[in-house]
Amino acid sequence: MEEYIVEMRHITKRFPGIVANDDVSLGIRKGEVYALLGENGAGKSTLMSMLFGMYEPDAGEIYINGEKVSFRSSNDAAARNIGMVHQHFKLVDNYTIAENIVLGVEPMTRKFGILPAVNIKKANQDIARLSAEYGLEVNPTDLIENVPVSVRQRVEILKMLYRKAEIMIFDEPTAVLTPAEIDFLLKIIDGLRKSGKTIILITHKIEEIKQIADRCAILCRGRLVDVLDVKNASVREMANMMVGREVEMDLHKSPANFRETVLKVSHLTVENENHFPLVKDVSFEIRGGEIFAVAGVSGNGQTQIADAITGLAEAASGSIVLKGKDITRLSIRKRTQEGISYIPEDRQRTGVVMDFSLEDNLALRRYYREPYSGRGILNFGEFRKNAELLIDRYDIRSGQGPKTIVRSMSGGNQQKAIVGREIEEHADLIIFVQPTRGLDIGAIKNIHKQILKERDRGAAILLISLELSEVMELADTIGVIFSGEILKTAPAGSLTRNEVGSYMMGVREA
Amino acid sequence: MKEKKAKGLAGLLTSERWADATVSVLAIILMLIAASGILLLLGKNPAAAFYSFLQGCGLAPKANYGGGSGMLSDLFNYLNILAPMLLASLSFIVAFKTGLFNIGISGQMLASGFLATICVGYAKNLSPWIAKPLVILIGIAAGGLCGAFIGFLKYRFNIHEVVSTIMLNYIISYLTGFFINTKYVDMLTRSSRICSANARLTWTKVPIKGVSCNIPLGIAVALAAVFVVRFIFDKTAFGLELKIVGASRSCARYAGVNVRRGIVMSMALSGAFAGLAGVVYYLGYTNTMVPKTLPGMGYDSIAVALLGNSSPVGAIFASIIVTIFQSGANYMSSTIGVAKEIASLITGILLLFAACGEYMKALGRRAVERKEDRILAERAAARTKGGEER
Amino acid sequence: MTKVFTDGLSFALPLLIMAIGAIYSEKSGVTNLAIEGFQGFGAFIGALAAILIMPRLSSSSQLPIYIAILFAAVGGGIYACLHALLSINFKANQVISGVVVNILAVALTTFFTSAANTAINGTASNKFILGVSSRYSIPFLSKIPWIGGLFQRMYPFEWIICVLAFIFWYLMYRTRYGMRLRACGENPQALDAAGGDVVKTRWIAVVISGALSGVGGICFAYSIMANFSPSIYMGYGYLAIAAMIFGNWDIPSTALVCLFFGLAKAGGQQLCLAMKLSGNYTDLFNMLPYVLTMLLLIFFSKRNHPPKACGQPWDQGRR
Repeated sequence: MEEYIVEMRHITKRFPGIVANDDVSLGIRKGEVYALLGENGAGKSTLMSMLFGMYEPDAGEIYINGEKVSFRSSNDAAARNIGMVHQHFKLVDNYTIAENIVLGVEPMTRKFGILPAVNIKKANQDIARLSAEYGLEVNPTDLIENVPVSVRQRVEILKMLYRKAEIMIFDEPTAVLTPAEIDFLLKIIDGLRKSGKTIILITHKIEEIKQIADRCAILCRGRLVDVLDVKNASVREMANMMVGREVEMDLHKSPANFRETVLKVSHLTVENENHFPLVKDVSFEIRGGEIFAVAGVSGNGQTQIADAITGLAEAASGSIVLKGKDITRLSIRKRTQEGISYIPEDRQRTGVVMDFSLEDNLALRRYYREPYSGRGILNFGEFRKNAELLIDRYDIRSGQGPKTIVRSMSGGNQQKAIVGREIEEHADLIIFVQPTRGLDIGAIKNIHKQILKERDRGAAILLISLELSEVMELADTIGVIFSGEILKTAPAGSLTRNEVGSYMMGVREA
Repeated sequence: MKEKKAKGLAGLLTSERWADATVSVLAIILMLIAASGILLLLGKNPAAAFYSFLQGCGLAPKANYGGGSGMLSDLFNYLNILAPMLLASLSFIVAFKTGLFNIGISGQMLASGFLATICVGYAKNLSPWIAKPLVILIGIAAGGLCGAFIGFLKYRFNIHEVVSTIMLNYIISYLTGFFINTKYVDMLTRSSRICSANARLTWTKVPIKGVSCNIPLGIAVALAAVFVVRFIFDKTAFGLELKIVGASRSCARYAGVNVRRGIVMSMALSGAFAGLAGVVYYLGYTNTMVPKTLPGMGYDSIAVALLGNSSPVGAIFASIIVTIFQSGANYMSSTIGVAKEIASLITGILLLFAACGEYMKALGRRAVERKEDRILAERAAARTKGGEER
Repeated sequence: MTKVFTDGLSFALPLLIMAIGAIYSEKSGVTNLAIEGFQGFGAFIGALAAILIMPRLSSSSQLPIYIAILFAAVGGGIYACLHALLSINFKANQVISGVVVNILAVALTTFFTSAANTAINGTASNKFILGVSSRYSIPFLSKIPWIGGLFQRMYPFEWIICVLAFIFWYLMYRTRYGMRLRACGENPQALDAAGGDVVKTRWIAVVISGALSGVGGICFAYSIMANFSPSIYMGYGYLAIAAMIFGNWDIPSTALVCLFFGLAKAGGQQLCLAMKLSGNYTDLFNMLPYVLTMLLLIFFSKRNHPPKACGQPWDQGRR
C-alpha cells in the first residue's frame, strides 16, 4: 500500500438534479504536482471543494496522512494545513495586502500594555520576509484595489504560505493571466514543489499540465476516467479522455467572401469613471462576410470596445461609423435599430433578465416594435410565436417551454437563448463576446457553426474571445489587444499561434 | 396523514403560481394566532375581539346603533379609509416593481393633501363639479412632482431614494405644519380648518334606508387605479420596461431601455398615486390636517403591498384585511376594553410575518428537496440491490 | 452663544452614538434603516426600568438615569435581534426588514406604554414621565473663551457617550473583531475563506447597533423630551443615518457631521429666540437639519463609498 498525503475514497456528491461526483477515488503523493483535468462541469471544483471543507460528500471518505477526516468547514481543512486559491479571488479591495493575508489569523499585541489590538507592524514585516523567501514580490502596504490581477494571485498564494499550508489547491489559476504571467506562476509552483509542498492543480488546459504536472487525473461528467503519468501521455490522448469521445478537431470553414465595409471604428478611446483610459486610440474596419476577432488576455479593454460600439459605454473620443452613418452619439436602442446585435460577456447580469420567463427574454430587444407591440400595447401572441420558433431552431431546452423562468435553466441553454435571439435579428453587425464560455464541446461546435453561417450570409462579425484556439479557428482577420491598444491587425492566415501569443503579452514586433 | 399535509404545504410554497399567495395566507394565520395570544394574555376573548373589529367596520351587525347610523354607514366609513390605503399601497407597488423604495408616501400624501386643501378646500363658492376633479388633479400633480423630484435626485446626484424620501417627509411635515399653524389653524381643535363640503371626495349625509351615509368617491378612484396599474404592468411596453429596470439595471441598458427615464417616470407615477391617496385621505376621510403629523398610513401601506405580493389585485385583499383592524379598532376598544393601539400592533405583526416570506419559501424548498433526495437515494439503493441479485 | 454650544452638543452626542450604531451594522454588510425603531424600543425599556426603580429611591437621586441607560442598551440590543434574524438568517430584503422593525417598534412601545401605565398607576397614559437629567460644568475647561460653552452645563450621559464613542471607534479600527467586521461588509467571501464567521460577525454588529441606538434614544428621552412617549419617534434615527452617509461610514467624520447638525439646530433655535419670532417659527428651524442634509447630499453623495456588500444577504451555499 502506497503512502498518500491525501486520499479520497469513493466520493459521491449529488446536487438537486445532477450527480457532480460519482464514486471518485484518488490518491495524491507528498511533494507532487497533481493535476485535475476536465471540461467545465466535469466535477473538478466540486471534488476539491470537498477536500477544502466547503461541501460535505454524500458518500465516501477522505484521508489526510492516512488519517480519516470529516471537514465541516474550510476552517477544519485549514487546520489540516490545506489551502486553496479560488478561481475568483477572495480579497477585500480596500484592505492592504498585509491585512488581507493576516485576516482570520491576525497577530495580536497590547496597546499601552492592556488594550488588545491587531499588530499590523508585525504583519507587514512577516509578509515582507515571506514574499522575499518564495520570490513572490509584493509590497505589504499596497491596497488590493490598486494592484493588478497577477499580484492579487500572489497575495492568495502568500495567504496559504502564511497559514503554513502543506497541501495547496489551485482552481484554474491561469485563466486570468497573460502568457508571461503564466510562465512566472508555473515557476512559482515548481519552487513550491521543490520546498516540499503538495500541489493540486485544477485546469482544463492540457499544455500547462504537460509543462508542470507529475500526474494527472481526468474527470468526465463526474466520473474519474483515468490517472496518467504526464511524462508518458500524449496531448491527444488526454483531450479525448477529457471530453469522453473522439474530438472532431476541424470546422468546415468556407473561403471568405468580403463585401463592403460595415463597421469603421476610428481612434476610439474609452475611459473609466476616473478618466483612466481602458481603450486607447483603437481603429479597425470590418467588412460584410468577415469575422474580425480580437485576441487578448482578459481585462485588456476588449469588452469596453464592444460596449462602446453598442452604446453601453461612452466613447471619450473617436468615431464609430456603421454602414456610412456615424453612430458615435446615438442611444443604445437607436444603434440596435441601425443593425447591431450583441451577445454580451456576462449573460446572467446583462444578457437575460433572470427572473423573467423565457418568452419575455427572447423578445428582450424587440418587444417595443411591431408586431410585438402596437401603440405601446404588448402583443403576447407574438411573444409566444417568437419563443416557439427560437426554442425549436436553436434547441433551447427548458422545463416548461416559453413560460420557464430563465433562472431555472442551465447556463448553456441561457446562452443558446441569447445567441438565438441575437442571430435571428439578421443584423449587419453581430458582436460576440466570449460566446462559448462555460459550454460543453457540443454546444461550442453548434455556436461556431452559427457564427460561420452568419458570416457566409454577409454579416460583419466582431468576435471577442479569451480562448486563443477559438480565435485561430474562426477568424478571418485578427486584432491583438494589449492594455487597451490594438498592437497588430493582420489576416488570420499570416499569423501563427505563437505570434498572436507574444502580441498578447505586449511584445510589439515579433 | 400529518406528513401528507406538510407535503401539500411545501408543494404550494414551491409552486411558481401559488407560493406568494400561500405566504400571505400563512402570514395572516400566524398573525391571528399571535394576536389571539396577546389578547388571551390580556384576559380577553380573541373571538369576541375579532368579531367586534368586523362590527366596527360594518361587516357584521352591532348590538345597537345610535341615531341615524347603521351597518351601512359603518361600512361606508370603512370604505372611506380603505380607499386611501389601497391607493397608497399601489404607490409603493409601482416604485417597488421598478426596484425603488418609496418610503416617502406619507410625505407625498401630506403635501398633496395640504395643497389641495388650501387651493380648493378653502375656496368659496366653487361648484362641486369643478372642485372635486380639481382636488384629484392637484393630488396627482403634487404627488407626481414630489416623486419625480426624488427620481431626479437619484439619477442625477446618486442620492438613494430611501434617504431622500425620509428627508422630504420631515421637510414637508415641518413646512406644512408651519403654514397650518400660522395661517390655517382652527384655534379650538389646533388642527387646520375643516375644508368645504364641495371640495370633499365624499357625498356627506346621504340618507339610505333611514341611515345617513357618507358615500366615499375615493373607493371608485382606488379601484380604477388598481386597473390602471394592472394594465400598465401587464399589458404595456412601458410597464415591461419598468419591470426590466426593476429586475436588472444592466439588462435594461442592454435592452435599450432608458434607465434614467424609467426611474423618474416610475417615481413620478408612484408619487401620483401617493398624491391621490393624500387627497382621498385628507379631503375624503379626515377633512382636516393635524400639523406636523405624518399619516401612519404611508408606512402601513408598505405592509399592504408586501402582504399583497406587490400585485395590484393582491393589494385589494391585503388592504381589506389590514383596514379592518385599523377601522374597527375604536369600536373594539369600546366594547372589549383593549387599547385601540392594538390595531397598529396587529398590523406590525402581520408585516413581520409577511417579511418572512422568503424564509417560508426556503423552508418549503428545503422540504421538497429533502423528499427528492430521499427518493433518489431509495432508487439508487434499489438499483444496487437489483444489480446484486442479477 | 454658549447656549448654542451646550444645546448643540447635547443634541449631537446622542445622534452620534446612534450613527455609530448604524455604521457598525452597515460596515458589517447589513443595511440598517431600523435605527429609529431600535432607539425607540431601547428608550422604552430604559424608561420602563427607570419608572419601576424610581419609587424606591429618593426623588433627587440620579441613579435611575444610569439604570435607564444600561437597560436601554440591553433593550435596544435585544430588539435588534429581530432585524438580525430577518435580514441575516431569513434573508429578507434588508430595507423592508428595517421598515418592518420600525413600524413594529412604534406599535409595540405605544401599546405597552399604556399597558404598563395601567398596570402601575391605573391610568392609560402613553407617557413615562422621566424629568430632565441634571447638568454639570467641567471646571477650568468651561472657562475657556469661545469654545468653553462646549464644556458647560453638560449632561452626565454626554460623558458616557464620549467614552462609548471612543471604545467603539477603537473596537472597529484597531481590534481583530473590527478588522473582520469591516471585511465582512466589503467582501464576506474573503472573510469566510479566511476562516471568519460571517453570520456571527454580522449578528454581533447588528446587536451592537441596537444597543448603541438604545443609549441614544434614552438620552433624548432624558434631555429634550423629558419623558418617554411615542413622540420619541421624531426621525432622529433617520437623521443619524443621514449623518453616517455624509460621514462616509467613517466614525470620526460622522462625529463632525453630528456636531454640525447639533450646532445648526441649536443655532437656529437661538436665532429664532433672538429675533423674537413666534414659537411657530421654530418649526422652520427644526426643518434645517433635514434641508441641509438634502443639500449636502447633492454635493457629496457622488464621492461616497458605501460598504460594497451592504444589503446583500450572505448565502453560505453560494461561493
